[in-house]
Amino acid sequence: MSINSATSDDDTPDGGDESGGPDEVEARVGLRYTLKQVRQDTTARIGTYIVGFMTFVAVFAAFDYYVLDYAIAEAVLYNPETDPQNVRRLLPPVGMENQFGQGVLEHPLGTDHRGRDLLSRTIYGTRIAMTVGFLATAIGLGGGTVIGAVSGYYGGWIDDVLQRVTETIYAIPFLVLVIAFMTAFGRDLTFAMIGVGITAIPVFNRLIRSRVVSIREEDYVEAARAAGVKDRNIIFRHIIPNSFAPVLVQATLQVGVSILIVAGLSFLGFGAQPPTPSWGQMLSASRGYMLPAPTFSIFPGIAILITVIGFNILGDGLQDALDPRINN
Amino acid sequence: MSLLRYTLRRFAQAIPVLIGIVTITFFLANQIPGDPVEIMLGPTPAQEQVEAIRARYGLDRPIHVRYFTYLSGVATGNLGFSIYYDRPVLEMIMLRLPVTLLLMLSAFAFAVATAIPLGVISAKRRNEPADHVSRVVSLIGVSTPSFWIGLVLIIVFAFYLGWFPARGLVLPWTDPADVRGAATQFEVLRQSAHHLFLPMIALGTLQMAQITRIERSSMVDSLQGEYVKLARAYGVPESTIVRKHAFQVAQLPVITIIGLGLSTALGGAVLTETVFEIQGMGRLIITAINNQDYELIMGTTLVFGIVYVVGVIVTDITYSYLDPRVTYGED
Repeated sequence: MSINSATSDDDTPDGGDESGGPDEVEARVGLRYTLKQVRQDTTARIGTYIVGFMTFVAVFAAFDYYVLDYAIAEAVLYNPETDPQNVRRLLPPVGMENQFGQGVLEHPLGTDHRGRDLLSRTIYGTRIAMTVGFLATAIGLGGGTVIGAVSGYYGGWIDDVLQRVTETIYAIPFLVLVIAFMTAFGRDLTFAMIGVGITAIPVFNRLIRSRVVSIREEDYVEAARAAGVKDRNIIFRHIIPNSFAPVLVQATLQVGVSILIVAGLSFLGFGAQPPTPSWGQMLSASRGYMLPAPTFSIFPGIAILITVIGFNILGDGLQDALDPRINN
Repeated sequence: MSLLRYTLRRFAQAIPVLIGIVTITFFLANQIPGDPVEIMLGPTPAQEQVEAIRARYGLDRPIHVRYFTYLSGVATGNLGFSIYYDRPVLEMIMLRLPVTLLLMLSAFAFAVATAIPLGVISAKRRNEPADHVSRVVSLIGVSTPSFWIGLVLIIVFAFYLGWFPARGLVLPWTDPADVRGAATQFEVLRQSAHHLFLPMIALGTLQMAQITRIERSSMVDSLQGEYVKLARAYGVPESTIVRKHAFQVAQLPVITIIGLGLSTALGGAVLTETVFEIQGMGRLIITAINNQDYELIMGTTLVFGIVYVVGVIVTDITYSYLDPRVTYGED
């Protein structure tokens, strides 16, 4: 996925660099080191704030949805579906005016074509975007890690077969691949997530495989093998933890990419189906009202933009923080 | 190895990948629930009519037979028959592909033309205001969905300002007689550019942002190179260093990123064509899917794959041609 290529290009060569000395390797892996670096890096910190805020909004929406059954949303942001007599369609944001009327305070961002509050729908869209972004990335990360680790560790024909298969998946433009996949298996959000996850497998596969190939020859791996440690344990205890930093960077960026792709899919009618408030689907609905109510098309897009920027800044920040060679 | 042999070898290597794409799309298309015959004939067709259609399109044969028939068909350039359009798939694709290619090429032209100056300025004035502006622009560029950029452009430039049309595309080589309000080929060309402008920006922004980021970091690296230090020591003016010494070397990663960006751009084309109601490959695949037109779905997916694979090969060849350090054919 080319959005990430910027980083994966940078990642590939540093397999050799980090293995400069055994002490340095020890010091530059793991969660604690990462957290310390993030705290010191301004970009990474801003990214953390945005992602943290969006996660908070998503968790709030999930809580209101699953536990309180929209109680908060309805109390704060009046929902016309519970009051069908008083439907106000396509209102502009508060303080603005269009042919459908004046913006009102109950609907700070205005209403959609069915009179539903845009702010609450945008907030509830966060839950879907974040869930989909994280799960799709998890699928890609999981699949890519297993394939890349096995492929790189064993080499030979296993490597050849696995790499040819992932290359082929990578050779179909990913949006087209996911659309074909969803046509075959199902057009709802679950399959959008799985499909996007599958397209991310080659990205992580390549990253992990290149790390494994370089780490495989390291002395401590040789030592573990000589000591009789099982292959599987070598892969999972030594090789994968040593690939932590570049994978974390890639995964962070991948969440953003996944959110963008799933929004695009929903926009095309693959993914979240009405009335689910997903950003892509809201934008798709807004297309019919761009002339009379242009603000309808604006806010879901801004929500996508802010969320994806958050993950991109965090990814870039992590990259800078975890890769000591880059001094910006 | 000569460049020609390298080129031929790269194309030969692509054949298994293409067979893989055919296989994946064939089996995905066969998973599609629903019956295309039903879509053609309505919900309650006569039994013999159904069988006649099934026999005509080969749908009554077992799956592996159909797979090899399809594969050999593809090898001879026969992509099957579109049930929905009632025309050969290849004919439909040939009609639509130029539209998508035009859109893609103009988007990349826009991306390269804006990104390279932005990236170079950014690298030259590192950590100055110009650099910050360019970095923020490229960050927003990689984080914005292309279809939303399209919607915003339509609202602002088509509806409010009325500068550009909101939908459709005129191909520059269309006969003037077929274009409304165009008497000469030049008029057609003008209309074409007019229609292309907004979709080009919508599709090209992401590429522009990515290329800017790579251009910047590549130029920063390049400006710290030994050869640049040497040139400076010799008293070569800074502008000459940037233009001649640092710039050329810095373009190699940019070519790579353009190749990789093709995949995103092809997906983006589907979205952009939807937003601007352009009848290209993207709309074709969506129409094929919505009407369960198996062979059209397989054909369009395959052609998307071919365009991508060929694009990557072309960028690889450009890369090896430009970089004297690359020796062809040594893995």
